[in-house]
Amino acid sequence: MMTRNFSTIPFIIVITLISMPLMVMYGFLILDTFTDAPAGELWPDRFTLKHWRFLYDFSEVGNVWVATFNSLTLAVSMAVIVLSVSSTAAYAISRLHLPFRRFFLAGILVMHAFPAVTLLIGTFFVLNFSGLYNTMIGVILVKASLLLPFGIWIMKGFYDTVPWEIEMAGVQDGASRFTVWRRLILPQVKPGLVALGVFAFLDGWGEYLLPSILAPGSDMQVLSIFLNDLIAAERVGYDFNLFKSVGVFYTLPVVVLFVIFQNRLMNIFGGGTKG
Amino acid sequence: MSLSADLSGTKGAVHAHRPTGTAMAQDRGRPRVSRLGLILVAPALFLLSCFFLAPVVLTGVFAFTNMSTSTGIGAGEYVISPNLLDDLADAGLSEEVVTAISAETYEITPDGIEAARAGGVSADFLRDIEGLLLGDGFDTARGIETALRGLPSAPRSPRSLKLTAEFFGHSVLNQRFDSAQELTEALSLAVPDVDAGIRSEIVGASYTGAIYTTENFTYLATQPSTMRLVANTVIYVGATLSIFNVGLGLFLAITLFYMPKRVSSFYSTLWLLPRITPLVLYTIMWKWFTWEDGFLPLLAEQLGLPAFNYMKGSVITAWMTMISVNGFVGASFGLILFSGAIRAIPTQQLWASEVDGATRWQQIRRIILPQMRWPILFVVSYQTLSLLSSYESIWLTTNGGPGKTTTVWALEAFKTALSSYTGNLEYGLGAAMALVLVVVGLALSIIYLMAFKFGELVGRPRIEF
Repeated sequence: MMTRNFSTIPFIIVITLISMPLMVMYGFLILDTFTDAPAGELWPDRFTLKHWRFLYDFSEVGNVWVATFNSLTLAVSMAVIVLSVSSTAAYAISRLHLPFRRFFLAGILVMHAFPAVTLLIGTFFVLNFSGLYNTMIGVILVKASLLLPFGIWIMKGFYDTVPWEIEMAGVQDGASRFTVWRRLILPQVKPGLVALGVFAFLDGWGEYLLPSILAPGSDMQVLSIFLNDLIAAERVGYDFNLFKSVGVFYTLPVVVLFVIFQNRLMNIFGGGTKG
Repeated sequence: MSLSADLSGTKGAVHAHRPTGTAMAQDRGRPRVSRLGLILVAPALFLLSCFFLAPVVLTGVFAFTNMSTSTGIGAGEYVISPNLLDDLADAGLSEEVVTAISAETYEITPDGIEAARAGGVSADFLRDIEGLLLGDGFDTARGIETALRGLPSAPRSPRSLKLTAEFFGHSVLNQRFDSAQELTEALSLAVPDVDAGIRSEIVGASYTGAIYTTENFTYLATQPSTMRLVANTVIYVGATLSIFNVGLGLFLAITLFYMPKRVSSFYSTLWLLPRITPLVLYTIMWKWFTWEDGFLPLLAEQLGLPAFNYMKGSVITAWMTMISVNGFVGASFGLILFSGAIRAIPTQQLWASEVDGATRWQQIRRIILPQMRWPILFVVSYQTLSLLSSYESIWLTTNGGPGKTTTVWALEAFKTALSSYTGNLEYGLGAAMALVLVVVGLALSIIYLMAFKFGELVGRPRIEF
């Protein structure tokens, strides 16, 4: 992009060296799912599909499809809750007159910047007292609530950019504010809704900590726990090729969604996650 | 406006004055609250108070209790156990009181008969007991056994007599009382002549539930391991931030900026991967990379270097692994943010410097780096908070080991309260440790918000991939 008054080759070599762990890890992640290597060797010497047997043969690792369905339930319900609650609340904050509006907004900001994971112990008490401990509903509610400050803030940003005139026109024509919001404003913020929905889905899909701590005895085992239990249980020995195959299966939806929504997601990805 | 409203007396008149929307600005004195707004915001308020505010409050409250697995969560019971009695005796409770409390008295009650029936005592014998002894009381085991032996259908063996007697036994010892009052009443029956002060002391000591105490904090303040945890946390956050999030992130962003398009987009995508990979798979990849028979040890073996489980085998390699695991994700975050910031620099500045004959290094030092000040500050502050509080990836990799050498504050708090190997979860102590993080997190996030418009940076980052 700039004129070449220096050689890029040494820098490419340095970057390649630094990136080596990532290249090795992701390269072998894909390679190992359909090959086998002799014991104690790095390089595979034969092609095989047996690592993917877990898709239909449940004897070794359990039923992966049930876990997939559970993960899907968690991620979709989370996206639905986050979308509906933050799209309504953000509209109210952006456009309607509320008492303590500024205070509420400042609170949302603090909660967004605040590392929510420190609340896990407190959340554990809340779930215990409300009887939601060890239920997937509890996990979904907690997970969705923790994403709400971010969702409300993002959606408020989108509502702020919608021109007043659209709303005024609707009100002039005799529509109620609610109708105006639903019929005129929501379509305007669709890009925001899509980005937030996908983000919430991915957040729920990748979650491990909350289901494992807040619902350890739940019947609904999600994929992240399914995968980690494989390696913890030592049931199948350290068959990393199997772990990786399950892992790739688990990660495929993430990659697909990311490729499709790349541009919309990147807008919120930089500030969005914590980690 | 508000004056005219008062004068006209009706609310309808006020509304008539007011064109929708624009009135709000003029009418600062008496804003009209939107009911729709309240309805729309209610679900968010409800969820946030349940799962954000309530946890903060509960963390604060339970930090001052000794709640643990043994006390249970919620209201406790009052139980005088033999152990407690021993402790009380050691603490100076008189011998007579101790024996009086532990002594058993016997009373033939319908409940006792039912219990005996369920316990397999013969029906004939029970009929006799019910007919002849119902309502009688005995002070000693010998007394009731003698009475039982006198019955026509009494069993021969002293042992079964003794067993039958036990069904009618009655003692404060090991009985569970729901309230302090119930235990006090039971005690005043068992040991009527003990003075009320001592009695209430016994009742207080018998409480099995959690009690309010500041012990957690004095414990934390006096333990040498606390200093160790703080030091670990500081080293971990500092090293990860400086080496990876800022150092490597900035290096990658600047270098890739100058690379040909194809090279830079390949590496940008590669470095995005750790960020979008689900954490469990990401940590499994690191396990494969560092465990014995994994990639690095195998490679080291072929090169003749020491090969072992690098993730857990030695303190130094465990630290390197822990920092790298978090660092690669952090560098990914830094790269995205810094790349955006570099691309936001007007290209004319770079062209102009080039015309003036500046080298690449001069360009970076004089033009790019000075304009990276705010993005760097942002990454540092934002990531300090998340590194301070996040333990998930450490938990899944080194798990704080070997020993406790890579345990940081947040991980220890979490383990103390929710994931202990010994099975005794100390909720109170864990909450106290979490409270420290909550307070630090709250203070830092408010300071950041005030120091630079955190909201703008966080809410609508001008970052594109």
